Amino acid sequence: MNVTKLKENRAAYLFLTTGCVCLLIGMGMGLFVALKFLFPLLGEYPLFSFGRIRQAHTNLVMFAFLLQVDIGIMLYIIPRLLHTKLFSEKLGVATWAVYNVAVGAGVIRILMGINQGIEYAEIAPPFNYMIVLAWVMLLVNIMATILRRTVRSFYVSVWYVVGALLWTAVVYITGSILTQYTTGLNQANLSWFYVHNAVGLVFTPCGLAAAYYLIPKVLNTPIYSHKLSLIGFWVIAFTYCWTGAHHMIHGPNSYWLETVAILFSWSLIIPVMAVVTNFLGTYATAPRATRFKTAESKLLFTGTIYYLLTCLQGPFQAIRTVNTVVSKTDWVVAHAHMALLGAFGLIAMAGAYYIIPRIVKRPLYSPRLANIHFWMTFVGLLTFMFPMYVSGPMQGLAWLNIERTFLEILAEQRWVWMIRMHSGALILLAQTLFFYNLWETLYGKSYFMKPIEEKVA
Amino acid sequence: MQLLTERNIAILAVGAFGIFSVGVFCTTVLPRFVDRELMDPKPNMRPYTEQEARGRKVYLAEGCVYCHTQQIRHLKSDQKRYGWRLVDAPPSKGWEYAYDNPHFIGTKRTGPDLGRVGGKYSSEWHWSHFKNPRDLGEKFRNLPESKMQQASIMPSYAYLSDEQIKDLTAYIQTLGRNVNWRKDKDGQLLNDYEE
Repeated sequence: MNVTKLKENRAAYLFLTTGCVCLLIGMGMGLFVALKFLFPLLGEYPLFSFGRIRQAHTNLVMFAFLLQVDIGIMLYIIPRLLHTKLFSEKLGVATWAVYNVAVGAGVIRILMGINQGIEYAEIAPPFNYMIVLAWVMLLVNIMATILRRTVRSFYVSVWYVVGALLWTAVVYITGSILTQYTTGLNQANLSWFYVHNAVGLVFTPCGLAAAYYLIPKVLNTPIYSHKLSLIGFWVIAFTYCWTGAHHMIHGPNSYWLETVAILFSWSLIIPVMAVVTNFLGTYATAPRATRFKTAESKLLFTGTIYYLLTCLQGPFQAIRTVNTVVSKTDWVVAHAHMALLGAFGLIAMAGAYYIIPRIVKRPLYSPRLANIHFWMTFVGLLTFMFPMYVSGPMQGLAWLNIERTFLEILAEQRWVWMIRMHSGALILLAQTLFFYNLWETLYGKSYFMKPIEEKVA
Repeated sequence: MQLLTERNIAILAVGAFGIFSVGVFCTTVLPRFVDRELMDPKPNMRPYTEQEARGRKVYLAEGCVYCHTQQIRHLKSDQKRYGWRLVDAPPSKGWEYAYDNPHFIGTKRTGPDLGRVGGKYSSEWHWSHFKNPRDLGEKFRNLPESKMQQASIMPSYAYLSDEQIKDLTAYIQTLGRNVNWRKDKDGQLLNDYEE
C-alpha cells in the first residue's frame, strides 16, 4: 500500500471491516461464557477461566466491535454531511492502528490475568492510555474536518458526534485512569459513573448520530422534526451523566446520591421519547411500500424499538422497590444486551450494510442474505433476552424468600441458561452470514458487478 | 428555527460540554466532599497485610467480582441470607471499602454475596472448595447424597498454586470483618481471626 496516496474513506473502511471481524470473535467469547454456565468444567485452563473470558467478551464486543464500527460510520458520515473531505486519511489510518493494537493487546492481557478490575475498563496500562491517544487523534481529525466544511450549519448527527467525542474523552479517562487514583466507595462512584455513561454518553450519541444519518437516507425521507432533535440532544447532554449511582441502590452509597440518580433516570425518558418519536415519525412519513424493504431499514427500526424498551426499563429498574427484585439477577444481563446489541449493535450493523458497499462502490453481494441475517438475529435476540426477563424476577423473588437456599435457586436457573446458550449460538450463526455477505461484497463475484453511483448528501 | 449552536462549532462544543460537566461535578466530585464521613477509613481499621493484598490480586485476576458482589444491602433478605447462625449480617457501610483498590462491590450475583463471608467458613473448607467447588463438605454434611452437592457452577481453581489459594483465602477471611458482628451462643461477640 502506498501510504502517500491513501484512497478516500480508507480510514472508515478499515474501522468498519475490522469491527465486523471483531464482532465474530467477541460473540464467540460470549457463546463460550454461555456454555460455561452449563458446563463449568469446560476449558479448564487459566486462560479460559470464566472471570477472564467474560471480561474479554464485554471488551471485545464493546470496544473492538461496537465502538470501532461507530468510529467507522462517524468517519464516513461527517465529511458527507459537511460537504468536504476528511481532514487526514493518514491520521485516520494511524488512529485505526493505535486503537486496534491497544484493544487487542489489552484483551490478550486480560486473558493472561492482568486487568484493572473496573467493569468495562479492564484494559490495563499502557493500553488504556493508548486508547485515549487514539481518541484524541480521532477528535483532532473530526474537529479539523468540521473547521474546513463548505456548508454553514450542522445536521443533528454532527451535534451528536461532537458530543460523543468530548463526553467519551471525559467518561473514559474517569473510568479507566482516574479510578486508579481513588479507593473504596469513592472509586465505586467513579466506576459506576463510567459504566453507565459508557453506554449513555459513548454508544448512545455514536449510535444516534448514525441513526439520524441512516434512517432518512435508507427511507429516502427527511427527518420528522427538527425541534424534537434539539430537545433530544440538549436534554441528554444535561441529564445522562447524573445516573451512575442507580447501580448501587440499597447498597453502601449515600441515600441522597441514590435519590438524585433515580430522579435523573426518570428524566431520561424525555430525550429518549423525543428521539424515538422522531425516528418513528420518519418511518411513518416514509412511503409505505419501501418502509421495511431492506435489511438496513429493518435493523434501524428494530434498533429504535429496542432503544425505547431498554431506556424505559432503566428508569423502572431504578425505582427502589423494583430494584429490590431485579437488581443483581439475570435481568441485568438481558438489559445490558438489549441496549448494546439490540439497540446500538443493530444500528451499527445497518451502518456497515449501508456504508461498506458505498465505499468500495459495489452493490451488496446479497440483500436476501442480509434479510436472513436480520431475521435470525431478531429471533435470536428475542429468545435470548425474554427468557431472562422471566427468570430474572423469579430469581430475585426467590432470593427475597430466605427459606430457600442460594444453591436451590441457582439450580433452577439452568433452563434459562440452556435457552440462552442456544439463542446465542443462533445470533452468532447469523453474524457469520453477515460476515460472509460483506466478504463476498469485498472480495467475491460482485467485484465484477456494475459500480453503484453515490448520491450526494 | 436555527440556533447558534447549529452554526458555530465553538458554541456547540462548549455548550454540550458545559451542561454535561454540571452532572459530572455533582455526581463524581461533590460526593467526595459531602460524604467524607462515609468514604474515609475508620481509625480501628487496618490496611491489608502483604498476604491479603496478594490474595486480592488473585481475586482481581480471576474476575471473581463478575459473579460475587461484596455488599450486604439495606434489605432484610440480604441481611438474613448472608447472616450467620441466626445473627443478621449488618448492612455494608461505605467506609468498610476504604482500603479497597480496586473495589469489588459488584453488580451481579451468579454466586452468593461475599460481603460478610470472612470467618464464616474455616480456611480448610475454602481450600477444598477452591480445589473443587462441587465439594461443599460441611455445608451438606447431613445430606451427602443431595443433588445440591453438585449444583454449583463455580469454575474450579485447581490451577492456582497452593500459595495463591492460601493468599486468596487469607483475603476472603477478612471480608466484612471491619464490623464485629458474629455472636456465639451466649450472645458474646466473636472476633476469631485465624492467624
